[in-house]
Amino acid sequence: MALGRLPACVIDNGTGYTKLGYAANSEPQFIIPSAIAVKDKGASSHSSALRSGSTVGKIDDLDFFIGDEAFAPTAANYSVKYPIRHGIVEDWDLMERFWEQCIFKYLRAEPEDHYFLLTEPPLNTPENREFTAEIMFESFNVPGLYIAVQAVLALAASWGGRAADQRSLTGMVVDSGDGVTHCIPVAEGYVIGSCIKHIPIAGRDITYFIQSLLRDREPTIPAEQSYEVAKAIKEKYSYVCPDILKEFTRYDTDGSKWMKTYEGINNITKKPFVVDVGYERFLGPEIFFHPEFANADYTTPISEVVDDVIQQCPIDVRRGLYENIVLSGGSTMFKDFSRRMQRDVKKLVDYRLSASEAIAGGNLKPKPIDVQVISHKMQRYAVWFGGSMLASTAEFYQVAHSKAEYMERGPSICRHNPVFGQMM
Amino acid sequence: GMIILEQNNRILYDLLEMKFNNAKEGNKPDLVDVRFADFDGVLYHVSNPDGDKTKLMVSISLKFFRELQEHGADDLLRREYGSAVLPSPESGYSVSLIYDLTALSDDFTDTIMKVSSLKRHCFASVFEKYFEFQEAGQEGMKRAVIHYREDETLYVEAKADRVTVIFSTIFKDPDDVVIGKVFLQEFREGRKASQTAPQVLYSLGEPPMELKDQKDAKVGDNVGYITFVLFPRHTNKKARANTIDLIHTFRDYLHYHIKCSKVYMHTRMRSKTSDFLKVLNRARPEVKVEKKTITGRSFNAQ
Amino acid sequence: GSKRLERPFLKAFRSCRAIMTTTLQPYLDAVRVTLEAALCLEQFSSQVVERHNKPEVEVRTSKELLMTPVVIARNKQERVLIEPSVNSVRVSLAVKQSDEIEKILTHKFTRFMCQRADNFIVLRRKPIEGYDISFLITASHTQLMFKHKLVDFLIHFMQEIDKEISDMKLSLNARARISAEEFLKRFN
Repeated sequence: MALGRLPACVIDNGTGYTKLGYAANSEPQFIIPSAIAVKDKGASSHSSALRSGSTVGKIDDLDFFIGDEAFAPTAANYSVKYPIRHGIVEDWDLMERFWEQCIFKYLRAEPEDHYFLLTEPPLNTPENREFTAEIMFESFNVPGLYIAVQAVLALAASWGGRAADQRSLTGMVVDSGDGVTHCIPVAEGYVIGSCIKHIPIAGRDITYFIQSLLRDREPTIPAEQSYEVAKAIKEKYSYVCPDILKEFTRYDTDGSKWMKTYEGINNITKKPFVVDVGYERFLGPEIFFHPEFANADYTTPISEVVDDVIQQCPIDVRRGLYENIVLSGGSTMFKDFSRRMQRDVKKLVDYRLSASEAIAGGNLKPKPIDVQVISHKMQRYAVWFGGSMLASTAEFYQVAHSKAEYMERGPSICRHNPVFGQMM
Repeated sequence: GMIILEQNNRILYDLLEMKFNNAKEGNKPDLVDVRFADFDGVLYHVSNPDGDKTKLMVSISLKFFRELQEHGADDLLRREYGSAVLPSPESGYSVSLIYDLTALSDDFTDTIMKVSSLKRHCFASVFEKYFEFQEAGQEGMKRAVIHYREDETLYVEAKADRVTVIFSTIFKDPDDVVIGKVFLQEFREGRKASQTAPQVLYSLGEPPMELKDQKDAKVGDNVGYITFVLFPRHTNKKARANTIDLIHTFRDYLHYHIKCSKVYMHTRMRSKTSDFLKVLNRARPEVKVEKKTITGRSFNAQ
Repeated sequence: GSKRLERPFLKAFRSCRAIMTTTLQPYLDAVRVTLEAALCLEQFSSQVVERHNKPEVEVRTSKELLMTPVVIARNKQERVLIEPSVNSVRVSLAVKQSDEIEKILTHKFTRFMCQRADNFIVLRRKPIEGYDISFLITASHTQLMFKHKLVDFLIHFMQEIDKEISDMKLSLNARARISAEEFLKRFN
């Protein structure tokens, strides 16, 4: 934190969850669903209801809940909406009110006192940045604003204690949350948008898969609790194995060493129940590498997607991308996920190299390609952490757009947010 | 919904709840090192003192704490937090509280609520003192001056029949000066709707009579002065806590609602702009061109 | 090629520079008639000056290509400036602002709209000096769009903007009152 300044507010609005907190912390202070519960106004659109005469005597637009409170019993007569879809803000009215409570109820920040770092997905539009700036500077009077690209923050988060000259903003970000997994190549701090790929396998799919495995075998789990039990088992016991055939053998020969038991309590009867946890420990995350186990329509392993994306990128950045494959998000946290991905990508790369060597008739020995998958301590909330770290540097205050600049030149100043942080 | 700002700090509440529960469940305590802010330039640091994970230290920094100490903040905090108050606070902070995670009471909800209201209790001392003066009929005591924010000041003065609280506040945005004035007018009129409310006066640009001798009272187009005249019905022992809850958040309440009204205005403008666009688009033979309104919703869906 | 300029509407441009009408309907009627005339003008002239695609009212390359601008005023504040040229017309509005609140609300609203000028096509990113909002209608716009509906839009906008500003002011006052009352009623 710069001397005498209050810490910057860092808000990472994702499709499913919003991570928010103060800069310089290692974890966000809140992780809340990006949901807002508003009073349903029947068929008419919400904004027209707000404009109508019904507002006399109360301030209807303050009557809403965000995050977990949107799902609480007090919000039972409200309808839950998600202002963000596929990472991009869809409903600016709701988004603005969501931010209003993020600031005043959760962070308890006087926004005039704090710089703000917000995040955006790779293909966000410049107009959306302007709309964000309009809200932040005009409604909330923030003194400064920087809009960072999520994948770039994920790269910065992986630096750890590295020396300044080792801090690369070139890398291949594999970001996996609950809903979707993205493979995003970044060169010198800029996303190579045309090469991004999405994988329809993420945390939720792993949970569903474990749930289906348990359903067939464990009748004691109450049906209405089966999702949460599957999720708990996933979070507590799952890991990535090097070879599933060998792993099956291990469990079959020495079950007691590998099997776990999960103890739960029936929400209704309050009676305890016990679940044996076996193959699902490694089969859950395995669907990243064998998607066909869970999804008949999608069969490309994640390592192949990573390799494809890098191969589509300009040739001069490919080596840099292979050397710095950075993991981000809760669904990349499985034990040995990075090791398996590194091995599988390396296999694909080596195969390609030896094939081209063979074509050249052995006359040309290609320089080997180094494949490094980076796993680090701040991986779970990597995007937020990257933002938290960058927003606590003096440089942040130089690159962020100031209110004075906004007043003079308008929202267009926020179309571009200079890359920074490499040379600190 | 949120009309009145909450009294306690949510980050602090959630953090303590999690750590206390974790300790109660007998789990291994983990390392805590969190720094965060609150309204009025307040900063907190929650950590393990000397790396001892079985203990949790909550420190608060208020730039104006020395001024509050002149009005009995130390006594009030000892009264509220007892032995949890560290004799000398963590370096760089105003007050530190310490809790032993291995010796928590069974029901710690009240403790959490109280700790998360630390900022409120720091502020309370100056009000309690002047409420006492008024109750005791002590006039002519020096007026309290608290620089509760950079460039913004709080004055408290007791008379036999009233306590006068004057806030100065700055409207940083030029438009807010105008919106702020609308709000202050309504605060002045507010007593018409509620007979039990204190009297409210305001002035813009110049300090009120009471502060004419105050050297650092700011003068300027964007400075507002709001005077609350609190009567014995507000300052008596029974009503006191509620009065302090409200009055110490007034400045933040005012600025919160000014901002909420701008958020509301944006909603109206989005809606009206989208209506205008629909009318303009009637002039375009091929309607397909504009698939989306500026609010991002598709036309067909509406 | 000035023969067609002798149509009756266009005489208005030649003979009078300012029209004053205090009541709303005649004011709007005057604006409508003038706009219709100005837009006719433009269509005619755009055929004369071939391959000329910069709006003349903005670039001002030659006095010959500019018509006399017309101001239609309802009162000192509310007025419309219509500046025709061979291939484009610029329409600027000064909106009624009876106090400082209406002034900032008007400014906020027009700035908000200009921020979305790309959607509005005929909206100018900045108003011209002395006016709150400006529209720029070019030859290509009139080829793409129905002229009479474009005029309808401008008239609709003039009618609605006043209403919206005063509604916004009312609701701002109402909010301020509720916020104050909600706070003060909690003292007991």
